[in-house]
Amino acid sequence: MNHTYWNPRNETLSRDELRVLQHLKLKRLCEWAREKSVFHRRRWEAAGFHPDQLKSVDDIRRIPFMTREEWMEAQLEAPPFGTLTTVDRELAVRYHMTSGTTGRTALRVLDSTKDWEWIAEMWAYGLWGFGLRPKDVVLFAFSYGTFIGFWGAHYACEKIGCLVLPSGSATTEGRVRTIVDMGVTAVCSTPTYALRMWQAATAMGIDLARDSKVERVIVSGEPAGSIPAVKRQLESAWGARVGDTAGMTEIGTIMIFECARQPGGTHIIEDNFIEETISHDGDRVVPYGERSERVVTSFGRGFIPLIRYRTKDLVVKIPHSACDCGRTGDIYQGGIQGRWDDMKLVRGTNVYPRAVESIVRECTAVDEFQILLTREGLHDEITVLIEMKPGRADHWTALQSRLIKDLPDAHEGLRFNVILAEPDSLPRFELKAKRLVDKRPAAIYT
Amino acid sequence: MENVDLLKRPMTESDARLLELYRSLKEVAADRDLPPCVERNVKKALACMWQVVNDLNLEFEQLYDLGV
Repeated sequence: MNHTYWNPRNETLSRDELRVLQHLKLKRLCEWAREKSVFHRRRWEAAGFHPDQLKSVDDIRRIPFMTREEWMEAQLEAPPFGTLTTVDRELAVRYHMTSGTTGRTALRVLDSTKDWEWIAEMWAYGLWGFGLRPKDVVLFAFSYGTFIGFWGAHYACEKIGCLVLPSGSATTEGRVRTIVDMGVTAVCSTPTYALRMWQAATAMGIDLARDSKVERVIVSGEPAGSIPAVKRQLESAWGARVGDTAGMTEIGTIMIFECARQPGGTHIIEDNFIEETISHDGDRVVPYGERSERVVTSFGRGFIPLIRYRTKDLVVKIPHSACDCGRTGDIYQGGIQGRWDDMKLVRGTNVYPRAVESIVRECTAVDEFQILLTREGLHDEITVLIEMKPGRADHWTALQSRLIKDLPDAHEGLRFNVILAEPDSLPRFELKAKRLVDKRPAAIYT
Repeated sequence: MENVDLLKRPMTESDARLLELYRSLKEVAADRDLPPCVERNVKKALACMWQVVNDLNLEFEQLYDLGV
């Protein structure tokens, strides 16, 4: 039988049935968390919330939000795993941690055997939905460390029945060779690293679109996977379709994926998550089509229940009917569009790295780039450093002129400096790319 | 009551068999006197069956008390 959906029963549930299912799971999860997690019980008692108050899924708004800062404090209170856990550490079979941003405490997570089945299952929804099948040969361009990354996708591919090729310690060139020699049909990597593999292949005299059998590139870990210019470049370079997914260490897996119809966004796996869209500066429910912060409740991980977690991810939710694949899970238009805390204020104008990237990547001669923020006297400056692809240096003058016009046009007239960088002078990334460097001194108020 | 799923929809014959299999595995997993090769493999099997009953809306519960 030719199944379109990994889970036909739930991926096509009516919206009303989804709400009933979400209510039932939410109530049971909250009862569990209240009984077993010191963290949740304390906070809920202080806020006057009890799971008995959950009469419908809309009552989720009675539950106080949970933040990363609270989780970090809970870890410090009872190191190393904190007060959030519901059961003894001895029941865990795996430990992971967040990739961590400079100066922040990494979050530590534990999962049981059952939790890992679920983590892989969520990836299976996405990978199957994008077209992976048992016949596929899948290479993972991933380092297999404590960062959870593609671990779940690896197990999902085994669950689907694919032939899995791990490439933990391989060089980029070694991965390219494996892709060609082993007849790899699908590759999992970050968007940045997929570009890097293509650059390495070109330097090796290999045209991945011509010389490999890759039909699908599944990307995750960065917002770039849904930026049209990046996707177009990748699809052209690999001669393959590029599907976006997004997850987070806090839930252990993905919560959204791009289906094979590619409607310009990612479906939410709503039988396993409640994804609320809330105003970033408060608690207002944001309707379809408006920018919001995603707030997630995950039903799968009982070891560390994540309930109304403020993610700071910037999203725009649209109805499932925007896609004709038949799934009833709503869609995040353009995937995760960035992070609210990525936004930089430059001379009174909001600058989002993703918005800059989407313009820079329209120029196919760009190899790598970096956004540099500096302060000259009292004045902030924003500079985009550009590395050109080998053999494309003669496009620089036209490219510079184009960016000096397009970047301000998209940023309320804000002036950008656009400077040519030496070949191989900018950093390359395997996991989460960090292309914005803010060298402005912190303001001092006396 | 036994013949409906979590959404109060009638179970298929296959649903009922899968749920029964899940419950049987839970009973076996609760046995504290199993050799390691049986105990660990039953728990892995139970984790897989948990996913099946979750996917089909036949049951939604935590299994940590059974060490899964």
